[in-house]
Amino acid sequence: MVGQIIKKQLLLLLRSRVQLLLLIGLPIILIAILGTALSSFMEGGTVEIDLKIALIEEEDEQEQIDRFIRDADEKGLPAEAVAEIRSSVAQITPIQTLKESVFGNESMEDIIKLKLANADEIEKLLEDGSYSTIIEVPKNFTYDMLHFLIFAEDVHPSLKVYQNEAALGASIVQEMLEQYQEQFTIGSFVSEKGMELQVAEIGEQQFGEIISINQEKPTSARDYYAIGMAVMNVLFIASTIGTIAFQEKKNHVFNRIILANVSRWIYFIGIFLSGTIIGFLHLLIIFGFSRIFYGVTWPDLLAFFAVTLAFAVAVGGVAVLLTAICYRINSEMITNFFSSIVVTIFATLGGSFFAIGKLSSFVQLLGDLTPNGAAMSAYLGIIRGEGLADISNHLLFLIIFAVVLIVAAAFSFPKRGSAA
Amino acid sequence: MLELVDLSKKFKHMYAVKNLNMFIEKGEIIGLLGPNGAGKSTAISMLSSLIEPTEGDVRFHNKSIIKNPAPLRKIIGVVPQEIALYEDLTAEENLQFFGKIYRLKGQLLKRKVDEVLEQIGLTDRRRDIVKTFSGGMKRRLNIGVAMLHEPELIIMDEPTVGIDPQSRNYILETVKRLNQEKQMTVLYTSHYMEEVEYLCDRIYIMDKGNMIASGTKDEIKRILSAEKTILIQAELLNDTFINFLHENPTINRVIKEEKEITIMVPKEINIFPILVKMAEDAKIELNSVDIKIPTLEDVFLHLTGRALRD
Repeated sequence: MVGQIIKKQLLLLLRSRVQLLLLIGLPIILIAILGTALSSFMEGGTVEIDLKIALIEEEDEQEQIDRFIRDADEKGLPAEAVAEIRSSVAQITPIQTLKESVFGNESMEDIIKLKLANADEIEKLLEDGSYSTIIEVPKNFTYDMLHFLIFAEDVHPSLKVYQNEAALGASIVQEMLEQYQEQFTIGSFVSEKGMELQVAEIGEQQFGEIISINQEKPTSARDYYAIGMAVMNVLFIASTIGTIAFQEKKNHVFNRIILANVSRWIYFIGIFLSGTIIGFLHLLIIFGFSRIFYGVTWPDLLAFFAVTLAFAVAVGGVAVLLTAICYRINSEMITNFFSSIVVTIFATLGGSFFAIGKLSSFVQLLGDLTPNGAAMSAYLGIIRGEGLADISNHLLFLIIFAVVLIVAAAFSFPKRGSAA
Repeated sequence: MLELVDLSKKFKHMYAVKNLNMFIEKGEIIGLLGPNGAGKSTAISMLSSLIEPTEGDVRFHNKSIIKNPAPLRKIIGVVPQEIALYEDLTAEENLQFFGKIYRLKGQLLKRKVDEVLEQIGLTDRRRDIVKTFSGGMKRRLNIGVAMLHEPELIIMDEPTVGIDPQSRNYILETVKRLNQEKQMTVLYTSHYMEEVEYLCDRIYIMDKGNMIASGTKDEIKRILSAEKTILIQAELLNDTFINFLHENPTINRVIKEEKEITIMVPKEINIFPILVKMAEDAKIELNSVDIKIPTLEDVFLHLTGRALRD
């Protein structure tokens, strides 16, 4: 019985050519227009980053460490203390850390080109103009740093940083250096309080936040608008199903179904499943088309299908709620309101037109509380290389959203048929 | 078989149907007559379990179906006044969908669809989209859907509204045939007197939510046994003449239409000389004055003072 209701809904939708054109043709055209028109704008934000950094060391770091250990030996400290200092110092190599863990990190090698230069090359490097940042490590830097960290002496070693404001990514290097500096400040604090120095050890994990510029696959404008238009347009499936269902009431077909001893819950489930299945197919068609013609690919197909299914279930929930309200108030005003006002608001908040969530975290949260916004965040996550676990919060939201709407619809659905 | 007991339906502060009593026996064709807004469709909606009555009961084989309508729903087919079809599907797709809704399957469904298409004369249009059909064809399909599962009782709510005379005759003949050949019980509502007179064994007449008369055709016409209906036709009917008619104490009812006036007078009164005198005084020329054989329309006129199609 439910199958008959779904089959009939599919047939009715297929026969309505204008509706089909709007539901499928329009998003495809919009993806092409927006994806092309805004590609330079979008891809300006996700352009391939190529940071050139030069590092000039005026004195070898190991020599400075050896010198510091000799100082420690001469201080007349107990043998255990000297042994401990020796083991700690082996781990405090600020310049080596900067070269290997910060700029030389494996995950950064596609982004950062680090040149190790001599002190006499500085003029040439400054004139070159292609370097985002030139870092000059003065004599005694590591030596002073160790005195500062281990003996808390009043010395303030500092790096000379030349930033090329015109070059791309200068601010990124600055941020990395600030984090680097922060770690050593923490190190100093730890040292002052007599805590284990290892807790402030600088490793690549400390620079985890830098991942934001280390995207394996940046989102292109076509990717973005394929998702944006698909998640927006599928909401129209819900209002279309609601409109078809209300026509059934208006034309007294619903009464005929009820008089055939079909439970209203069968009809209710039929509407919900129709919304879900048609929504699912609609998303597959749009994304399939985007795959073939716009090259929108999904690194994790399992996650893609999970999001598509969860979103389709949410669309089914919206469809059945709209139907229930139409039946309750005996008007299709609500489907018109939904398709003209609510979809526009949801699409804007959800980021279908532009990445509104970047304005503030509150706007992003609002967007993620719309079904299309949650689906969009999840899809973008997949494109960026995230897995199911990373987007599970959005999946959970979509399922909860659908359940709440289905329960609300069940309470609003009329008990019998309608008077003539 | 089916009985309505003191059935009422109140919408907000107004009764659409009030204290309705009627019964339907197996194999009968029952007419439910009344002008638009009389409450026929509301009565049918309650009778077929689509809406719950405010008061009263609907009893099927002596059991109330208000709370448990399933036994009644199994044996009824309803032809609504509206075209309750999917206009974007073909005639065959409509019949298949509703057939499956009525739990018909496989070969049985196929046979029933073919049979119904034959009965309603749409076999050669079975694969055409319904919205390309004429009004009459849609009406026939509307009836066909209700016949698919061979209901014992078919309820037809004004099934001939807005169609051409040929389709109308086809539908009336179909109803007669269903009753005679398949012993289907029919409840037929209409505001066309001649349809009800042609089809029905017993008649109920409703007006403004109330049942105002019931019985066989002859019983109802006998309501007019004390009166005769006279039809006056004249050129240039004027207000003076109509006022004379209204003022005459022997004339019980005066109904004016465009070029004719219907009056009702006691059988024993010879009204002709009076009418001729009135016409002379009002300076009009009478074309004809006829005594009519009483019809159900005249009964309705007698009972309500209004024509059925007012």
